[in-house]
Amino acid sequence: MPNPAPRSPLLQGTLDLLVLKTLARGPRHGYAIARWIEDATDDALRIEEGSLYPALYRMERRGWIDAAWGKSEIGQRIKVYSLTTAGRAQLRAESAQWSHFTAAVAKIVGQP
Amino acid sequence: MIPDRLPLQRRLRRAFFPVSIEREIADELRAHIELQTRRYIAEGMSEAEARTAARMRFGDVERVRAECKDIRDDMEARMSRAELGQELRMDAAFALRTLRRAPLFTTVAVATIALAVGANTAIFSVLNAVLLHSLPYRHAARVEMIWNSYSRTTASYTAVAVPEYFDLKTQLRAHDAIAAVRLQPSALLGDGGDPERVNAYVVSPNIFDLLGAKPALGRSFGGDDGAPSATRVIVLSHALWMRRFGGDPSVIGKTVNLAGFVRTVVGVMPEDVRFPDAPLDFLRERADLWIPTTWDNLRGDARGNQIIGVVARRASGVSDARAKADLDAAAAQWRVDYPQRYASENAKDWSLASVPLRDQMFGSVRRSLVVIAVAVGFVLLIACVNVANLMLARGATRQKELAIRLALGAGRMRLIRQLMTESVVLAVVGGLLGLLLAWLGVRILVRLGADELPRIAGTSIDGTVLLFSLALSVVTGLVVGVVPALQQSSDGAREGLNVKAVGIAGRARGGERLRLVLVAAQVAMALVVLVGAGLLGRTFIALQRVRPGFSADNVLSMQLTLGRPKYDSAYKLVNFYQQLLAKSSTAPGVLHVSGGDPLPMSGDGWSGSYQVNGEPSGPNDPIPHAEYAVSLPGFFQTLGIPLRSGRDFEPTDTRDAPRVVIVDELLAKRHWPGQNPIGKEINSGGPASWWRVVGVVGHVYRAGPQSEGEPQLYLPYAQNAQTTLSIVARGNGPASALVQPLRSAIRALDPDLPIARVRPLSDLVSSATARQRFNATLLGIFALTALFLASVGLYGVMAYVVSQRTREIGIRMALGGQPSSIRWSVLRQGLFVSFAGLAIGLLLSMLTSRAISGLLFGVQPLDLPTYLTIAGLLLAVAVLASYGPARRATRVDPLLALRD
Repeated sequence: MPNPAPRSPLLQGTLDLLVLKTLARGPRHGYAIARWIEDATDDALRIEEGSLYPALYRMERRGWIDAAWGKSEIGQRIKVYSLTTAGRAQLRAESAQWSHFTAAVAKIVGQP
Repeated sequence: MIPDRLPLQRRLRRAFFPVSIEREIADELRAHIELQTRRYIAEGMSEAEARTAARMRFGDVERVRAECKDIRDDMEARMSRAELGQELRMDAAFALRTLRRAPLFTTVAVATIALAVGANTAIFSVLNAVLLHSLPYRHAARVEMIWNSYSRTTASYTAVAVPEYFDLKTQLRAHDAIAAVRLQPSALLGDGGDPERVNAYVVSPNIFDLLGAKPALGRSFGGDDGAPSATRVIVLSHALWMRRFGGDPSVIGKTVNLAGFVRTVVGVMPEDVRFPDAPLDFLRERADLWIPTTWDNLRGDARGNQIIGVVARRASGVSDARAKADLDAAAAQWRVDYPQRYASENAKDWSLASVPLRDQMFGSVRRSLVVIAVAVGFVLLIACVNVANLMLARGATRQKELAIRLALGAGRMRLIRQLMTESVVLAVVGGLLGLLLAWLGVRILVRLGADELPRIAGTSIDGTVLLFSLALSVVTGLVVGVVPALQQSSDGAREGLNVKAVGIAGRARGGERLRLVLVAAQVAMALVVLVGAGLLGRTFIALQRVRPGFSADNVLSMQLTLGRPKYDSAYKLVNFYQQLLAKSSTAPGVLHVSGGDPLPMSGDGWSGSYQVNGEPSGPNDPIPHAEYAVSLPGFFQTLGIPLRSGRDFEPTDTRDAPRVVIVDELLAKRHWPGQNPIGKEINSGGPASWWRVVGVVGHVYRAGPQSEGEPQLYLPYAQNAQTTLSIVARGNGPASALVQPLRSAIRALDPDLPIARVRPLSDLVSSATARQRFNATLLGIFALTALFLASVGLYGVMAYVVSQRTREIGIRMALGGQPSSIRWSVLRQGLFVSFAGLAIGLLLSMLTSRAISGLLFGVQPLDLPTYLTIAGLLLAVAVLASYGPARRATRVDPLLALRD
């Protein structure tokens, strides 16, 4: 696989958080979600596209996101995902957990 | 837990994605790769390059597709489950609302179901307690009783003699343990309490190991327990331990005085062990305590003295056939060793029989309970038909509602489900009320059957019963609901919007026919239950009519057990009774007083062989068999047993006087037809001196009115003293008035003597037919219920038919139809249905009554008068039930009917 820039592999379990956060900015289809995450992090984070879709399906099953048919930029029929109320609650919980976690890690790693 | 999506969303989702799951996933993934390809092209790649790069970047499309499909399938399954649950909840709530809005219908239907489910639950809880609960013995399945059997056709068993037991012990190979038991009523004294008569069982020491019962306290028998030289020990039942010793654990090691011997308590059995827990043929009492014995002191006893019950345990893995062959081999050996006893003409049907412990205890009970359960099942079916008919009738008034729902797009399955939910809700509500009725019913049943059904006292509404009742309610709901649901949701129901389509002879007739068929079935089932009840009722009456050969009116009986050390000689025993008779014969209210054992219909038995002086007694000559009893002078007079010739025993028939015997008319006729029996001589066999016949008395039905029994002979108590004897007294008033005078006469002679089984003799007589009364009473109750339900059903359907025909009748009246002919046309329909039901019912009854022929006495299974009476009764009820609606039909106002 062509890999022009060094990219960090995604930390286990953070994909859900990233997807939820992305959808918090508005409904998007799967490809747009992947692109947005990579663009927003200046390609520093690389989404494993093969695992993105199962993650989306799982989140839909859990009721965090909803799917509806929409149109893509080039006019294809495409599934567009949006955040549900339950998804918003989940996002809040996971964000809080994440801050807690990074702060704790930073305390150790940040020591001289 | 993952929250389930709401069904509404699923439906919306389906509306927006009208594609298959496979399509949905494929489209989505293809769109993704397409977008990526476009992007690479925009970055300057050729189309082919871009496509390859996009695919590479995505990875394994097939794997992702499969994974996504699994997740989506699972999501669909979860949502459809949630949807079903929510629909059921909605349906149930809707059903409750609908039912509340039709209070009359709901009340009648719920009450009908409550009655039927309640009756079924009550009967089931008795079955559960008596038959389904397992015996408290680990090896129960392998334990059987071994008997002498003198008939190949009927299951009648005779006890075993001690020498026979020792033979079985050495000869049986398919069994790994054998024990003997015998009831020995004994006086329990000492330890501060009042003297008490207890049911002590003398048992082989291995009995508890054989059964697989462990003591709750202390130890069971073992070692040399029971040997003549060993310390005398006993094991207590839990009941006696609680009653007598207040459940004190320090009772172990204490001594008690039992029947004149000091014995040490070594153990207490658990609460549910009362071996024998239910009657084992003649061993009818439940044990209070057990005394071990090796039986060695009786090893040399006569083989004709058949006094013990033998319990044996099959070695594990032994088949029925092998156990039977083993027993037959032993029997063959006995025929060779003792041809006179086992191979003579008289004993040609003799064999050794084994009966599984469970069958022995509950076999005969099972048959009556099964019959009752079937009858009550019929009641439930009849009730189901009534409720189904009610629902059909109500469906007619709901046609509009259903038609609207169909028109609005409700599927037929959906409608059926909703209607079925309604009937299940109805049935479950009825079932809950029925549980309440069952709780009451169980109390009545326990009282009714207390005498006759072993373990019925343990009947309660437990988890199994609750589950049964719930399951029965749900099944009832489904059965009741299925026909109306199918009919009402049928395509024809769409026409329901067109009101005028209903009510003219036409489509509605389909439903009417169905209803009439159901009612005919009801009549048939009611007839079956009524015939069963009629036959069992006649059985009971026939038993009451049997003249038992004695008169129980105004006779009181009580049992005394005179134990050591106070009464350690025959002289003391005889002396006691002489004094007692002298003292009590002058007591107030006493006309006659005497004593004897066993008493007729007491359940106790004593039988054995005898020989007649002058009749050949070679090895191949038969050994005759008779029922034995001992009696004091005046016994026959007290019980009203007629003296045919000769005399009663006299006080002069003492131990030192010549041996005498009194025989009954059957025995006299058997040996001395046309001769004077007085002065003839018989004895119990062996070298004993002859007994001279001094009197002939009438025959007595000793075991109960069901069977005449064997010829009888009576021995004078003075020459055959024994520790246990029953006192009988006839008064000039009710037997209960004799209790006090007799008790004080006994107390005056011996204040410590326990007095047991104080009962009017008439109680013994009526308890001899207790099971028949139980059967007849219960079946009678259920038959009346069935009759009532069936007549209500017939009335309801006829009334409905008339209401449906209002227009037609109106037209006929307007055209000059005669009221009488209209009345007749309705009546005819009712009668036609009833006749059809009666015909089917009669055929069914002929089959079922044959199945209960084993429970009948004095009446044939195909007893014509019973059948005719009951068919006539049902017909009369049918006429009454149809006549009301028929009369109403003639009151139809033609104008109103036509305008409607």
